[in-house]
Amino acid sequence: MLKIAIVGCGKIADGHVEQIRALGRGEVVAVCDREPLMVEQLAVRMNIPGRFTDVDEMLRATRPDVVHIATPPESHVAIACAALRFGCHVFVEKPFALNEADAQIILDCARQEGKRVSVNYLYNFEPPGLELEQLLAKRALGEIVHLDTMYGYNLAGDYGLAVMADPKHWVHRLPGKLFHNVLDHVLAKVITHLSDDTEVQVLAFRRRPASGNPVIDALDDELRFIIRSGNTTVTGLVSAHGRPVAHTLRVVGTKDTVELDYTGRTLVHSANWSQPSALGRLFPAWVQARQFARNGWRNLGLFRRYEYHYFQCMRVLLDRFYDAVEDKGPDPIEPAHILRVCRVIDQIVLGMGAAK
Amino acid sequence: MKVLVTGAGGFLGRRIVDSLLRMGVSHLRVHVRQAPPAGMIESLQQKYPQAHIETVQANLLSRGELEPLVSGVDCIVHAAAGMKGAAADMFANTVLTTRNLLEAAGAQNIRRIVLISSFSVYCAESIPKGGLLSEATPIEPVGVNKGPYGYAKTRQEHLFKEFQQRFGFESVILRPGVIYGPGGGSMSSRVGIRALGFFFSLGGRAQLPLTYVDNCADAVAQAALKAPAGSAFNVVDDDLPTCKTYLQSYCREVEKMRRVPVPYWAFELGARFLVWYNQKSKGQLPALFTTYVVRSMYRPLRHNNAALKAIGWTQGVSTAEGLSRSFRYWKAQLQSAKSS
Repeated sequence: MLKIAIVGCGKIADGHVEQIRALGRGEVVAVCDREPLMVEQLAVRMNIPGRFTDVDEMLRATRPDVVHIATPPESHVAIACAALRFGCHVFVEKPFALNEADAQIILDCARQEGKRVSVNYLYNFEPPGLELEQLLAKRALGEIVHLDTMYGYNLAGDYGLAVMADPKHWVHRLPGKLFHNVLDHVLAKVITHLSDDTEVQVLAFRRRPASGNPVIDALDDELRFIIRSGNTTVTGLVSAHGRPVAHTLRVVGTKDTVELDYTGRTLVHSANWSQPSALGRLFPAWVQARQFARNGWRNLGLFRRYEYHYFQCMRVLLDRFYDAVEDKGPDPIEPAHILRVCRVIDQIVLGMGAAK
Repeated sequence: MKVLVTGAGGFLGRRIVDSLLRMGVSHLRVHVRQAPPAGMIESLQQKYPQAHIETVQANLLSRGELEPLVSGVDCIVHAAAGMKGAAADMFANTVLTTRNLLEAAGAQNIRRIVLISSFSVYCAESIPKGGLLSEATPIEPVGVNKGPYGYAKTRQEHLFKEFQQRFGFESVILRPGVIYGPGGGSMSSRVGIRALGFFFSLGGRAQLPLTYVDNCADAVAQAALKAPAGSAFNVVDDDLPTCKTYLQSYCREVEKMRRVPVPYWAFELGARFLVWYNQKSKGQLPALFTTYVVRSMYRPLRHNNAALKAIGWTQGVSTAEGLSRSFRYWKAQLQSAKSS
């Protein structure tokens, strides 16, 4: 059993503890946060023995194999490097780092120490994400021509309200503010199709009315971007106003196109109109319906086998990460891809500034 | 006497402000997280022209920055609390904020502090069916079995007592039942829950411990001004309906719902199954109800407000009138939502 410690006792820490326990490959031996009351609440609710307010003290006292970092991103470099130098493998919440330079520091440190590092790009491990992985391995879509990635954000939800009500919330300190907190999810799904040579165009703006608070009003809520990398292009849409709140990906290949809905956990091939005349147009809707029905049955099977938890994707990712930690498999997310995501985020942030 | 009300822009907080001014408080400091609701201060100033009302914006999560908020007041009514969100958020917005406020209050030697707690802190599981839930009922030692809200409110109350012992201020605690009224939620989970297009009626014949928001605010103001130090009060109105009666009236006056009555024994069995499934499925579905929660919150118990009446509180709005006003408001809200 791996000895696992968690730094950062905010709401996402619950998800980490639950999925670590569901996997049964590790034991959460300690939790740590600068705020002692937050340490207390997580430890009490989750029945965790070790409680610390200092990372170094926790590392010395519990000597964990793996450290999960679930703190705001500005602290990731210091905590990740401390844990890596102590001999721990590290799993980091998104955003991985504030910028590419910080990401490079963490990845260099991991390489020097010979330890594994990964990041919670969980949506690639949703059922449709895993199905896409198989299709790509078989080259079933042909060459990738274009990807369209969409991510909705509800500012009226609990998290949105917390950000909007508190000008001191850490999201306001991120270089890309609100978008910076979700761009990892938006880009992680497409990054394997991009090279290190990317050209980015950006449009960002605030659609909601001004509140009068300059910090709150500096936060844009609608983002569009276009990326070109060689012969492949990506369009991205992050929207706080579009309803329903969507989380989708469309992958256009030279042989076939697929549409993934991460919320509904479906993957369908785009309709192929192959029959002639008006009669031919009767078929696609039924073919699509059959595909959705298949997805429904697949999801029902997952539910029956208890593999349909909201954070099932994190469970799959952690399973692969722990395989890597125990030298049983490769990194679930290549360090080069983590770095590339951070680089494209830097480009988008730069583009947001230039657009203004 | 100068009084500070935290969370004064909230559902209960704004009514507490009104009650305090009506009861003669001449200097009032209104705390809001961002800005007060539109027109709130203007209408209060118009209604109480002699009163000196000041507004202070502060984030109670900002530890070490709250002394200006509490400086110069004689009494604090702490009504701000986290009512929703994830467990960690609810805890932070209830417990951390209270710790930060009490640290500042201690440093400024505030004489009197009134805490708005909740029924959820009571260790009610051990009370026999039909027994009385009173101020003498012990409170939970930890409260983690009561779910995120119950845990946060229990920890808040223990913290309050720790600070009272440390700084020696006059403490008063109010524990309201279900606060209702125009602007508030229409359906307490004590009555039941909506799911899959149905309304599962869970409370049955259990008494619903209602307190109309204006009556609750009057109770808070009365206790802030008149209650002896160290006292605690349950806040409920007279003529309490059962959950079943409330639901029937709601369906008649506000909206029709497809009701599924769940008998107590079936609810307890269902809760046991939920916990079993939650463990078996490794958390695929949350254990929304546990047998402990069912026994604590859904067994028929009696409530009274004798302690409140002993300090001079009277129920200003009858339960019949409070329900009538609320039903009218919720119906109008529903119609407006449908038309938009």
